This record gives sequence, C-alpha cells and structure tokens, in this order.
Amino acid sequence: MGLDRRAFIKFVVGGAAGTLFTPIPWKLADDASIWSQNWSWIPRLKYGALTADATYSKLCPAGCAVKVKKVAGIAYGVEGNSANELSKGGVCPLCATGSQMLRSPSRVAGPMKKDGDKFKPISWDEAEALLAEKLKGLKGQDGKVAAISGDLSGTANEVLSGFLAGLGSKSYFYMPADQTAMAKTWNGVMGGSGQIGYDLEEADLILCIGADIMDAFGPVVRNQKAFAAKRPMEGDKALTLVYAGPVRNRTAAVADKWVAVRPDGAAAFAMGLVNLLAKSGKSASLGGFSEFADLAAKFGPEAVEKLAGVNAEALKDVAKALFTAKNPVVVVGTEPGQGAGVALNAAGVALNAMLGSLTVLPEFPKAVASAPDRAGLLAKDLVGWLNAVDAGKAPAPEVLFVYEANPAYALPQAANMAKALRKAGTLVAFSTFMDETAALADLVLPAPHPFERLDDAQNPYGLGKATYALATAVVAPEKDCKGTPDFILGLSGKLGVDLGFGAFEDVLKAKVSAIGADWDALAGGAAYVSDKKGSAQASLDAGALSKALAGIKGEGLVLVAQAHLNIGTGKLATPPHNLPTIRDTELYGKDVFVQMCSATAKSLGVSEGSKVKLAAGGADISARVSLYEGVMPGVVAAPLGLGRTAWDPYTKGKGDNVSKILAVSAEPGTGFSVWAGSAVSVAKM
Amino acid sequence: MSGHATKEFKVRWGMVIDVDKCTGCGACMVACQVENNIAPATPEMDAWAGVTHDASNKLRTLTWMLVYEINNKKAFPEYEAAYMPRPCMQCASPACVPVCPVVATDKNEEGGIVSQVYPRCIGCRYCMAACPYHARYFNWFDPTWPTGMDKGLSPSTSVRPRGVVEKCNFCHTRFQQAKDKARQDGGDPNNLPDGAYVTACAEVCPTGAIVFGDLNNPEHKVHALAHSKYAFRLLEKLGLGPQVYYYSKREWVHRLGDNYLPNEKKA
Ligand code: SF4
Ligand code: SF4
Ligand code: SF4
Repeated sequence: MGLDRRAFIKFVVGGAAGTLFTPIPWKLADDASIWSQNWSWIPRLKYGALTADATYSKLCPAGCAVKVKKVAGIAYGVEGNSANELSKGGVCPLCATGSQMLRSPSRVAGPMKKDGDKFKPISWDEAEALLAEKLKGLKGQDGKVAAISGDLSGTANEVLSGFLAGLGSKSYFYMPADQTAMAKTWNGVMGGSGQIGYDLEEADLILCIGADIMDAFGPVVRNQKAFAAKRPMEGDKALTLVYAGPVRNRTAAVADKWVAVRPDGAAAFAMGLVNLLAKSGKSASLGGFSEFADLAAKFGPEAVEKLAGVNAEALKDVAKALFTAKNPVVVVGTEPGQGAGVALNAAGVALNAMLGSLTVLPEFPKAVASAPDRAGLLAKDLVGWLNAVDAGKAPAPEVLFVYEANPAYALPQAANMAKALRKAGTLVAFSTFMDETAALADLVLPAPHPFERLDDAQNPYGLGKATYALATAVVAPEKDCKGTPDFILGLSGKLGVDLGFGAFEDVLKAKVSAIGADWDALAGGAAYVSDKKGSAQASLDAGALSKALAGIKGEGLVLVAQAHLNIGTGKLATPPHNLPTIRDTELYGKDVFVQMCSATAKSLGVSEGSKVKLAAGGADISARVSLYEGVMPGVVAAPLGLGRTAWDPYTKGKGDNVSKILAVSAEPGTGFSVWAGSAVSVAKM
Repeated sequence: MSGHATKEFKVRWGMVIDVDKCTGCGACMVACQVENNIAPATPEMDAWAGVTHDASNKLRTLTWMLVYEINNKKAFPEYEAAYMPRPCMQCASPACVPVCPVVATDKNEEGGIVSQVYPRCIGCRYCMAACPYHARYFNWFDPTWPTGMDKGLSPSTSVRPRGVVEKCNFCHTRFQQAKDKARQDGGDPNNLPDGAYVTACAEVCPTGAIVFGDLNNPEHKVHALAHSKYAFRLLEKLGLGPQVYYYSKREWVHRLGDNYLPNEKKA
C-alpha cells in the first residue's frame, strides 16, 4: 500500500519543524491529512432507498423480533420491532449483528459432499438423489434413520419428525436444554400435558433458582423487558428479583438479592423452600403431593445448608419473601441452560403450584398430522442415546440428520459425543455455517440464514402465554442454500412418504390457520398471543424423586459452565463484531479463563493468571485462573462458547471448549442424563 | 481542568444510564459497531501490520461504546458487581478539544455533541491522552471487513481510514435525519420531541438502561432523570461536565463513579 498515512504526515510535519510557531505546518498537516484519506481501498458507502422489513431472527435460542434495515435492498443492520409482543423492541447481542452474519466467512456456500478429508461441491439434485437412494432400503426399520434438532420451537420439526415417522423411525431428538429437562419432568415423569410457562409480566417477585434469565434462560430479551417494565427509574419498583445460584452472574447483577447456592444443591434448596412453605400451610393440588411434602420434610434448613451451602437464615428469608409476595414466580433452570435433572424441575413445579403461580401453556395444533407430539419428543434423552451408541449398546444409525444444531461441539462430553456421531453411516448436516458438526459430516446441506427464510416459533420456552411468531424471508439468499423443510418435503415425495404438503410455506399457512391467527399480521411482524391456559393436572412421583434427591452430596469442587449470549451459543460461534464484548477475564489471546473466589484459589494453591488443567469425565481442558469473588467457594465457573475447531479465523483456536468436561451421569431414580454441577479437578500446569 | 470555559447550548443531548438495570449483555456495543461501520478486528491484519492484533487481545480494538464491569471490591459473600456502559461523555468543557492542534474536534451547537472531523485529524492522539474517560480510540488499521461483509455497510457513517482518532458522536447522523424529518413534517428541528432522535445503543438495549434525550428540555425523560438524587456523573470532581449521567441506588457505585479512595469522604 506504499507510503502509509502516518509516515506521510510525519514527513510533512517533521519537515516543517522549527517553524512551529507559525500556523503553516499545521495547515500543511491539515491539508495532508485530508489528502491522505483518499485511499482507494477504503470501502465506499452504498446509497439508495432505505427500508426496514419485519421478521423474526432465530440466530439466538429464543429469537428476537427485528426489523432488517436495508439500503438499496441490501441488508446492513437490525432494529428491534416494538410492535412484537415477544421482544418488545429489544435486541440481543447476537441478533444485533444478524445482517453482518449474512456474509459471515463461516457461511456454507452450497451443498457439499465429503471427499477424503475435503469437501467437494455437489448440486441439490445430486444430494437429493443420493439420500433417496440411501434411505430407500432403510424404510420401515426403526433405529436406522435418526435426527437431532437444535431448533426447539420451529414447525420445521413437524416436517422432519413426520418424515422420520413415515420411514418408520422413532429416533428424533432435540438438543438438551432447560426446556427438554422440564419436558422430561412435566410431560414424562409427571404425566402432564402442554408446556410449563412463566408469567414474569404479572409477577411481583421472581425467584430464579439456577436459571440465568438475563443471559441464558429462555427468551432472554423478553425476560429483560419484563424486568425493566416494573423497575422504572422515576418511581417505585413493582418487582423484586432474587437470584439463587453459584455465581453472581448477569441476573444476579441486577437482582435485589443474590443467594449463593451450589449448582449440585439447587434441587435441595428448592425442596427446602417446599418444606418451609408446606409448614406454613401452603399446599398444591398435584397428585401425590402429600408424599412429596413428606419427602420435602427431610430438607430442613440444616440439611439444605449441608447440601446447597445456603445458611438457614437465608433460606428462611427467601421462603418468607415467597410467602408474602402477591404474585411470586419461581423459575428453575441451570446457569448454562442445560444439564438439570427431574428433581430440580419437579421441585420448581411444586413450588409454583403451592404459590398459585403454576402456568401451563397449551400446545398449538399440529400442521403435519403424522408428526409425533412435540412434548414427547422434547422429553427424550439425546445424551443418553448417544452414550448408548458410543458404548455399542444401541445401534448406530445408517443415516443421521442434524438440523440447526452442533452436537459435535455443544453436547456435554463433547469429544465422546462427536465419536458417537461419527459412527453414523452417513452424517448429514443442515447448517447455515461451517460448524464443528458440519466439518464432520458426509453431506453438508446449507440452510438459509434466518433473514433469508420462512420459519416460525411456537411457544418459545419460558414465556407466560402461548405465543406464535412468523419469520419471513426479507432478503434474497446470498448463497446456494435451500430451506431444510422444503428439501425434506422433496425427499419424502421421492420416497413415497406423504406428509400432506408439497412446500413448507403451505405447512406454515396450515399451522397459522389451525391456530386461528392472521397470516398477514404475523408476516408484518406481530406475534400471536393466546390467553388460553393448559391443564395443570399432573402428579409428583415422590418415589423416583426421593432416589434422585438422595444422590446430592454437597461436597467437593464442582464446575458451573456459564452460557453468555454475547459470546455465542452452541449453534453459533462468536460473530466477528461480538469479539470485543468478551472480557479480558474470559478470554485473552488464546487462553480461556476460569473463575473462582480467592478462598477456592487458596485451597487449590493457584493464583490470578495461573495456568491450570481442569479434568472431569475422562477429558480435560487448559485454562487460566481469574479471581472473581462472585463465585461461591467450592465452585469453578467457566464460559461456554469458546474453543472452536471449525468456523473462521475470528473464533477458531481461541480458548478451550468447556463442554468437553461437563461430566454426564444418570440421575438416580429417573435415569435421565444430567451434568449440572458435575465434579471437576483443577491442577496447576 | 480543561482550561477553557464551559460552552452552554440551548439543546443539550445527553444520556441517563441506569447501572442498576444494565445486565452487561453487550448489545449496545454490537449495535454501535454496526451503526457506525466499525470494522471487526480482523486476524488477517496481522500479516502486513506485523502487530498482534485481534479482538481477543483488545489492545488495539475500536469500541466507541465499552461496557465496564465494576465491583465493590469485597470478598465473597459481600461481593457485588455492576455494569457500566461508557460512550463519549460529550463533556461541557471537554479535555480533548483544546489540545487538538488542527481543530479536528470541537464542542459545537449541534446539541453540545463533541464532534470529531476525521479528514482533519492528523492522528497525533493528544485528545486520547487528554480524555480521562478513555472514550477516544486510535484507528491503527485500515478498516477491512471479511470478504463480502463490507457489502452491508451502514449508509449513515463514512468509513474512517487508519491513522485517525475516533469516538462516539451520539450517532450524529441520526440527529441529522431526525431534523430532516421534522422539517419535512412541518415540525421544529430545533425542538425535537422526546424519542424523535435516539442513538443506536439506546434503541437496541433490551432493558432500556440507556435513556437518551435533550437534557435541557423538561419534556424529555432525561431532564428529570438527570436531576434525580440517584443520578451522578463519572469523575465529577474533574469538572468536565459530562452530558452522560449514570443512575444507581447503590452507594458504592456512586463512590466508584467518582473514583473516591476507600476512606475518602464524598464531597
Ligand atoms: S469523554 Fe473524553 S473524548 Fe468525550 S468529550 Fe469528554 S474529554 Fe472529550
Ligand atoms: S451514541 Fe451512537 S456512537 Fe455513541 S456509543 Fe451509542 S451507538 Fe455508539
Ligand atoms: S444493551 Fe443495555 S443492558 Fe446490554 S450492556 Fe448495553 S446498556 Fe447494558
């Protein structure tokens, strides 16, 4: 680029030195600075008509209702859509860079097939023919075709799971989340119907047990909006927020009170509250409640102190606050939004039932009649299944579809899980970006970016009212991609599986009309919100829960993984514009930092900046220590989302993947795979 | 402190940032970069610049808006943390203005926004040294976007070449647009209603922690909020008169905001 601007200015100013007391050198420098900015390689701006089109961005787990800003038809930014009930004009740090991600260096340009160590481009027709040929012989054999979905709210799942059902397979799994653990509890163990919801808008007290509602739990932007609406700067606050968890995280930072609770003791803490409320005369009309209350009686304040690290007074204070509040809501979950067991969720349901705030949302009617029920699929244990595949106890599928998910990176014990995925005969990744799972796959079939496609969201988990939102394609596809449900509909036609539709647009139209919503209003960016409530009938299984609760030890060093939306999700690596939002105490250069308080560091013989190895479940990661007094003693906190092996130069090779050391175990009594607050060892390197 | 008189303006754009509501999510930082065409720090720059430069080593990144994490410096369990988003304070008597040898920066009638005229800037960085809020950034590298990403540049802000100093300007072009719109609609561009001009960071913030408006106009929310007993400004004792106010009900946040020593009495 020749003489650079600094050198040039130095030259001009330097040449005029000695005459500094005249304005001449500064005038020359000024002229030089103007002249020297006409470099040809500085991008020029585009001008043209400015427009903003409403859609629903599924870049983040809950989705943000946005307007995509365009200049001369080219997307360049987003703004919140205040007309949408779901996110009320707010935008999360991932969707804020949604337009930029249309041209992410990680985008998959077109369909590709593995060829040795590399990929070679193929056409969509070739991909379809290839898969049709493979699947033909597998029809009617359960277990031969399987699918993993990371989109927990889209109707696309009906197309995919209906297709699998048509081929005779029941192996359809969702990626684990707080929602899947709650579905296992409410729909599976407790026999309830519909979906558990949280009416934060109506609450005057929100108690979060584990659930980081401002960063990782559910519809984060709606949570933030619900919180902010009741905390006006001008007047009195109408909402108290209490956070109970091991780390002073983003929810705790704005909470009125932080109660430190060990991550492995969250269920014990919740049972301690059930016990105190029951003693004060609160009851619930859930089946088996009296046996459950007897079980809770074992969790007196002293027992809770031992198991959860919460002192008796703090526990009583929380119980009292719940007792006296008008509309208290208890939100249960985990710091990273995954890995909890049935015990914690059942205790959460019981608490809300006792407080009169149990909210159950009805499921929306299905569009694809042959698709299995969503609640049943959500309750399935993907990690348990993959572990069985890995151990040779379950047959590996011949064809495994992965839709909108990155299990090779994001599942607990990630390395083992990737091994199990590789056992599939043909691994097919439907992915917008070249992630770790796509890199492993035999076929990569690019899905359009959320701004380029028709999509929807039914009942994103965590909302207090049944809600439906529609996403429309607001920009033309920039790559050779194809909507996954449309591709599957084409494939099903070839295989003689009749799903009742030829195009995904028709599926969504059928869905919208079955709900009774207005397509045009939804396409214009409004959300459909229903006041209908689901049935709150279900029963607590004290037998299974007592076994699960007996497993809590309350001792030793435990790991708490933290999901930070700005860093990314399992599905989306840090967008280039988000890198500066990552703190030096989380990532510096190539080192990821784990946080612990000075008391824990002292007991481990480590100090600020120490290089350490963290090991659990037969895997390890390396990291540096950052002292942070907002982590309770006995707990090590580590951020998820780093340590990428695929993606792009912005993310690749930075830090380590904490998912590798989330050690999975089967919850006693329920057999469900859990990894919240798993044991970890820390050794100085 | 800044050595020259405080200028007063009829309209004084400003912010009140509620520290008790900011969750530190970083959406404002991202929105600001997108709005103002701040190029992501590309790892490819290393090759020719010969400097380790990457956003995971933030020595040379540009972030006009930066969210600081602050804490009460106590050990567990008394530890408390809070987040403090920091744009340019648009000081009433800015320390950065008088030190500029080529008058590239100025505090002017445009609602008291401190402007930075990039084509004039010679990159001497005196203003950076002078600003106690670290609100100014030197543009060390040519702004390069990953292949194709430059296709979607915001039409509102020109791209700055390397070698100049940059800073938040309260999304000044949005102010121009709001005034143009008022003129078109028959309104008064010098008396914009509350909400007619909002910065990108305030607009995106999911908790509404950033409130933006004319501090001089009693009809704007910020007017009353800035007068609240819970409002304070950063390093107030330096006397630069920031147009950005912070708001918190926590005493330690106030003390930290003015950099009081642990035992120092608050004035
Ligand atoms: S904050 Fe710094 S850069 Fe901004 S006006 Fe004040 S002194 Fe100048
Ligand atoms: S006001 Fe505009 S320029 Fe300043 S920090 Fe906010 S978004 Fe950035
Ligand atoms: S967007 Fe709002 S809540 Fe998020 S960091 Fe910025 S000011 Fe704080």
